[in-house]
Amino acid sequence: MTNEPGGMNEGAGRAEGLRLIRESAAAVAPRQGDLRRIRALRFTRPGFDPAIWREICAMGWVGIRVPEGQGGAGLGMAEYCALAEEFGAALMPEPLIGAVLATAVLPAALLADQLSGRRLILPAWQEKSGALHAPLTTSFSNGGVFGRKVFVPMAAGADGFVVTAREGCALVPASAEAVSLVLADTQDGGHFGALSCDDAPASALAGDFAAALEEATLATSAYLLGLMDRVFALTLDYLRTRTQFGRKIGSFQALQHRSADLKIQLELTRASVAAAADVLDATAEPGPRQAAVSRAKARASDAALRLTREAIQLHGGIAYTDEYDAGLFLRKAMVVANQFGSSAWHRARFAAIAPDSEDEGP
Amino acid sequence: MTDPFPPPAEVLDQLDDEAFRLVVRRFLAENYPPALRNPPKRLHWRENKVWYLKLAEKNWLAPGWPREYGGMGLSAAKQIIMTEEFERYGCARVNDHGIVMVGPLLIRYGSEEQKRYFLPRILSGEHIWCQGYSEPNAGSDLASLRTEAVLEGDHWVINGQKTWTTLASDANWIFLLARTDKRAKQQQGISFLLVPMAAKGVSVRPIINLELHDEFCETFFDNVRVPKENLVGEINQGWTMAKALLGFERIFLGSPRQSAYALTRLRRLAEHVGISDAPVFIDRYTRLRLDLADHRALYETYVAKLRRGEALGADVSMLKVNQSEIFQRISEFMLEIAGENAGLLEPIEGNRDLHPAGIFIQARPASIYGGTNEIQRNIIAKNVLDLPA
Repeated sequence: MTNEPGGMNEGAGRAEGLRLIRESAAAVAPRQGDLRRIRALRFTRPGFDPAIWREICAMGWVGIRVPEGQGGAGLGMAEYCALAEEFGAALMPEPLIGAVLATAVLPAALLADQLSGRRLILPAWQEKSGALHAPLTTSFSNGGVFGRKVFVPMAAGADGFVVTAREGCALVPASAEAVSLVLADTQDGGHFGALSCDDAPASALAGDFAAALEEATLATSAYLLGLMDRVFALTLDYLRTRTQFGRKIGSFQALQHRSADLKIQLELTRASVAAAADVLDATAEPGPRQAAVSRAKARASDAALRLTREAIQLHGGIAYTDEYDAGLFLRKAMVVANQFGSSAWHRARFAAIAPDSEDEGP
Repeated sequence: MTDPFPPPAEVLDQLDDEAFRLVVRRFLAENYPPALRNPPKRLHWRENKVWYLKLAEKNWLAPGWPREYGGMGLSAAKQIIMTEEFERYGCARVNDHGIVMVGPLLIRYGSEEQKRYFLPRILSGEHIWCQGYSEPNAGSDLASLRTEAVLEGDHWVINGQKTWTTLASDANWIFLLARTDKRAKQQQGISFLLVPMAAKGVSVRPIINLELHDEFCETFFDNVRVPKENLVGEINQGWTMAKALLGFERIFLGSPRQSAYALTRLRRLAEHVGISDAPVFIDRYTRLRLDLADHRALYETYVAKLRRGEALGADVSMLKVNQSEIFQRISEFMLEIAGENAGLLEPIEGNRDLHPAGIFIQARPASIYGGTNEIQRNIIAKNVLDLPA
């Protein structure tokens, strides 16, 4: 086994590249500093900052998975995960993962607009909750889309949607009359759009949307990793400084042991996400890719909910206030943990597709 | 004329990892006694001696020792591969305290005379060592140990009691930590001493553990006299030396192999009791598979560190905690699904692969030995998370 986890199987050069991505991400997605911008955008429309979105596009990040020949950066999943992790640590509301997913099926002209930020096309692929794959009812025939898509994050900011239908993907403009969009606020201050198409005018799209969906799932796991990493750091800071009974509360063994357990979950998630990124970068075989993605997403979803939940408890009453930042992480985890398939769904898929490997025991 | 197999250690160390792994596999297939594969209990010297002496004969006994002392001088990464393959093959653990503990201790801190005398005798199997660290009142709090050594003329006079002296009844030497300065701060008054088990005043009482096996012993010291040359290194430096010996081997406490072995047995048990297709079984079984797979990914990040030549930090404790608790969860699930079979003393229907009670009992000490999981969590909290004392 020569693959090293951590996405560094190509050695020091790749490690340096990952470091640079994290560093440049800090320009718009700072790990440090206050979360005033994130707070201010909550429960607004479109729920993210168009100026920041333009910066994100200018950095070339929407094209991170688009081949260089098509105007993208052509980077691997290890790089994409590093970026998504930084976005998670900064609780970025800007719809990077959705926009990157859409690039998998956009034709050249639209792709150029998407990469530059002139237009924002978001995927509308879901018809039921909690599942990454389910039989579709949406149809696309004679240039018209019929069907209802749900849980489209940041849909209010989209100029158009990649709609998955039984016949394949179709591009539906947001402004079409046969399209109606109903928004529902989410716990983190963003929103989901429910998109109803009644013979909406659409053009056919080509590309491997299913493969890109796996990548988006893994990127979401990385986003959760960044989120839990930062909320854990916030919690540790509090444990080191808060005094009760004349002592720093971080000196209490009950809290130390809980913290140690959270650290283990955090590092398991990091290892799982990195290992899955390596698999996606190394093979095109659907079986191993899906197994690795399901593993990472199941771990990340459960760990993110656990770390954010425990962050509240380890802080005590202060974290039950909306004013304190811990709650921002909890509410983000509540929204993101079940996107692109819940942990239960991914465990079930893993059980269905990953054979009990011989490697599991003699 | 083909080259001799296995190649000498100098050649082995130059092989790439995959080639080395194949050499180890072939070595085991050609040399390991088939009757000793996957022993249900820790074997005694009388049972594993044949394997110890075979390793000695092939010069494969001490992978970590430098070649000038008769070891293989392998890198940490290659030692890990060797351990992985030994575990995968189901090799019995030999009486290895001389190799794992005493050898490295003497090579680092011993006198020339100690090295010349003891090291070859470990390699030949003439000396079998056991470890005298824990005491009835010094377990997790090892530094509070009270076994005492007093210098009288040219001899140390030792009095006290050690416990959990694994396989002491097999051993003819013991290395022990003893208090040599009662006034110094706890950790600073402790020294390392080497004592022949045949010395007058040493007595051993086997302890029957929950596996009903006499793996552990209590060892008593009643005015035991050993020459003052049996001190290792400087007086009162025993604690520091013992800590310095905690090298990369700590990673082995986090090896996924033990849980992997148990998981396979869980699957076979579920098939035997006819619930392997039940959704409730599949859900929990899958959680355990994922726990193990993610553990393996984390473990591999540490192996990768060693491969890059980096030292391991206190965070390696995470592997120990996580592995032992996965192992325990698997064993607990086995007990739950086994029905009345959970209470059987022997494997179900004589099938060694179907022994839920045995694995459940085996899993109990995993969170105790090598530093309890509670102590490991203390270490993580203080040395990794930087939480206040």
